[in-house]
Amino acid sequence: MHGDSDKRLRDLQDARLRDLAVSPTGFAFDPQSGQSFSINGTGVVTLECLREGQGIDETARSLAARYGVPEEVARSAVEGFIRQLGRYLA
Amino acid sequence: MTARRGDWRHWTVAVTGVNARSDNPGPGLAVARCLREAPEFQGRLVGLGHDALDAGLYHADRFDGSCLLPYPTAGADALAERLRAIHALEPIDAVIPCLDAELATFVQLEPALAGLGIRTLLPSRHQIRERAKDNLPTLCRGLDIPTPETRPITDPAFFDHCAGADWPYPLVIKGIYYDAIVVGDPIEAKAAFRRIADQWGFPVLVQRFLAGHEVNLTAVGDGAGGLIGAVMMRKRAVTDKGKAWAGVAVQDEALERMASTLVAALRWRGPLEIEALRDGNGRLHLIEINPRFPAWVYLTHGVGRNLPAALLRLLADDRSVVLPPSRPGTMFIRHAEELIVGLDAFEAVLTDGGLDLASRRGDSA
Repeated sequence: MHGDSDKRLRDLQDARLRDLAVSPTGFAFDPQSGQSFSINGTGVVTLECLREGQGIDETARSLAARYGVPEEVARSAVEGFIRQLGRYLA
Repeated sequence: MTARRGDWRHWTVAVTGVNARSDNPGPGLAVARCLREAPEFQGRLVGLGHDALDAGLYHADRFDGSCLLPYPTAGADALAERLRAIHALEPIDAVIPCLDAELATFVQLEPALAGLGIRTLLPSRHQIRERAKDNLPTLCRGLDIPTPETRPITDPAFFDHCAGADWPYPLVIKGIYYDAIVVGDPIEAKAAFRRIADQWGFPVLVQRFLAGHEVNLTAVGDGAGGLIGAVMMRKRAVTDKGKAWAGVAVQDEALERMASTLVAALRWRGPLEIEALRDGNGRLHLIEINPRFPAWVYLTHGVGRNLPAALLRLLADDRSVVLPPSRPGTMFIRHAEELIVGLDAFEAVLTDGGLDLASRRGDSA
């Protein structure tokens, strides 16, 4: 499961996350697929971490510290976010 | 006057394909709009239509004048005679044909038009044949570009037994110039076959159906293998003919590579549109190459890469055409509106074969 998420993240980080245009309010546009979608505030913070090149564990630690939630809860949320992002960027 | 003839900014440019039926408009009005809104262009625009109800013939905001042409089926001699007559009244510096069905005739007339001083940027007859819908699989095989298998059909009985002969439904039935209809069974297939054969003649083409989303690219080939000013678009809404009703500019590197490969291999000269489809696995398939600007070409102006203006610069031997990067995320939404046409304007088109629109600007045509 973790391996799947890591691979999915590597695929996204390699090509797509870098080019994603995100407005200050979280409206995102993928210039390759033409898809646009809204990301909530937590998602925007998560996306910033991932675009900086952080891995899943590091991103989960950042979120756990910022929002005061257990690290495993944050990690599960990050994995869900990556899965959802992968579908939007397909 | 002579110096101005070499300066594309002051040319008189004729544009065809000015029909504007809302479900499937010709590209001519959009090409003219690009030129009209190009800040450098100060010249005149002449709309060339084939039918007295082509809206562009009456559109004073787009054109300074308009003329009727014979239908493409009338042949090269009739078109040449008509263009000579128009040129005698309104000297034309360049013409941009915008309809697939008239391309071959304009290519045939290219030397005669050049003799009159009318510039064109057109592919050769060989290039048009190479990208023809029924030749696309052969072209793509040589370039290792995926494309759905296509075959010509002359007998509709094919549709009764095709599913058992490795051509399962759904299928796409296509005309040699226009039209593509997705069919799910023999009854639908035969109806589509008859409709397309009646309108566009034979052969009718049948293509394997691919699920996915369509991405299109338009650009200009410089004739030496170079691709100039690629602009890519994903359709966001389509008419019942599958034409873009809304779209968004995208930046699809795989699509641009495919277009570069095709333009380099064909040494394409002139405008083109590449229609491709990205399947569920992310693989890109070539669907069609159209030898002209698409009806959505105004988006090229919207993203800062005004391709009709770039074409005029190429025609003026300006080889330094460098366009700014496209602006992915820019959208278009097409809309239909009514032109008010006075009876005198309609009469002038029907009886005189054209209209002086510049003198009517500010009034209804």
